[in-house]
Amino acid sequence: MTFAERMLHIDRRLIFLMIGAFTLVPLLFPVGLAINISPEVRSVYDYIEKLPERSVLLLSLDFDPASKPELHPQAVAILRHAFRKNLRVVAMTLWVSGTGMADQVIDEIAREAGKEKGKDYVFLGWSPGGSSVIINMGQDLYKAFPSDYGGKPTKTLPVLDGVQSLRDVAYAISLGAGNPGVEAWYVFGKDKYKFELGGGCTGVIAPGLYPLLRSGQINGLIGGLRGAAEYEVLIGQKARAVAGMDAQSATHFAIIVLVLLCNVFYFSLRRAARREAGR
Amino acid sequence: MPLEVIIGAWVATGLTLFIFTFLYEDNPIFKLAEHLYVGISVGYTIVKAYDTVIVHLIYVPMIKEGDWSLLVPVGLGLLMLARYMPKAAWLSRYAFAFIVGVGSGLAIPRTISSFILKQVEDTIRPLVTLLPDGGVTFTASLLNPASNLNAIILLVGVVSVLFYFFFSLEHTGPLKTAARTGILFLMIAFGAAFGYTVMARMSLLIGRFTDLIEFTGPAYGRPTLWLIPLVVGALILWSSRRRQAPPEA
Repeated sequence: MTFAERMLHIDRRLIFLMIGAFTLVPLLFPVGLAINISPEVRSVYDYIEKLPERSVLLLSLDFDPASKPELHPQAVAILRHAFRKNLRVVAMTLWVSGTGMADQVIDEIAREAGKEKGKDYVFLGWSPGGSSVIINMGQDLYKAFPSDYGGKPTKTLPVLDGVQSLRDVAYAISLGAGNPGVEAWYVFGKDKYKFELGGGCTGVIAPGLYPLLRSGQINGLIGGLRGAAEYEVLIGQKARAVAGMDAQSATHFAIIVLVLLCNVFYFSLRRAARREAGR
Repeated sequence: MPLEVIIGAWVATGLTLFIFTFLYEDNPIFKLAEHLYVGISVGYTIVKAYDTVIVHLIYVPMIKEGDWSLLVPVGLGLLMLARYMPKAAWLSRYAFAFIVGVGSGLAIPRTISSFILKQVEDTIRPLVTLLPDGGVTFTASLLNPASNLNAIILLVGVVSVLFYFFFSLEHTGPLKTAARTGILFLMIAFGAAFGYTVMARMSLLIGRFTDLIEFTGPAYGRPTLWLIPLVVGALILWSSRRRQAPPEA
């Protein structure tokens, strides 16, 4: 067996170990590689930055614990920014399995910022219907969510003063891990009720959302852990996402090297086989 | 640190390590964690759906606030359950018909508007502009093609990929060139999608490792440090027993 053949038949567990090491070492000993801000992340930041105080920011946390490593840091960074700007935050989720986690992150960041539940922020929870909930909210927010996650009637909440429907929202952001998510918020929300929309998403679905960004259907996009790290840099509060960027760069480097090596071995084997056949 | 947080850290660490054992080989510890994950996810969803729908959206408004108009959607929803009674199964068709009708009516026009018309408009808009009187003018500068380079690449990409999926004519001559160009654009798109997928999967790994590192802290009782040797030991024991066991007939 030639060296190339041996390398192409290497035990996959050795590759897992290598990727594990490339992930773990930078997490334990970070070097702090530079993080450049992309225009699509800056657009979301700039839009929130320009909103007047007490404007209504709708944050839809459309993900469940399976996407927590990518979207939870995005939610934390956006909430910190919104509370610092003294915006009214109306949070909700279209994913029933993410309800508890969404409630936890909002309460945690609000407590950190010294904000009051019901006055400065509210978590509406989940309502059945998927994308239809957005249409329902566009007609009457109080019919879609008669009570908040804690069971308080939404009509009595000061945080919702002057808010009747999605038309009264200054900016909406959907942090989506799939469907319903950013696309649903555009199709059934922004396109119909004319509010500005930004998006955050997992890396897997980010390429599918870039056409919406280019056409102006969403005004900004935070993609994966990388996008969360950029947002953390923008708000000046480096946290979990920034801490993970060295590891992300290291694993990407390892994967690029592995892909290149595999191709070199594959083509060298194919060349050798053709030579054999030519004899 | 609250006790429930400490218990949560131990459970999260243990289940993460259980799942990671699959990287060595499929084994009973992994299966235990996998079944727990499926069971708990379904259980959580059922409880949340019951609390939100049955309690907050049906029971409270109907019984406590007297909004009996909700009986109409409740009745329609209950018709779904007729599927389980063969003699009355036909009743469920009304509920399904309602869902399919409303769903299609809501989704089809909005989806066509958002994903087809708007995207077509965006593909040609930088090169062509609609005039207020309804006419059309070319806004692309032929003297400076670089000013519209992105728009031109995008247009070529869209048209060539559409040609690739046009099967009514044989791909020969100019059509072959267009289809081949389409394949190139598709390859670039697949590459970008794969790159993002790798990034996403690595982010998940980073997320789990970050938690495992955090749970080495004394505030949590160092679950990572205690459970790694236990899980590795259990895996070694299971692996050696399996090798010693006689092969099944």
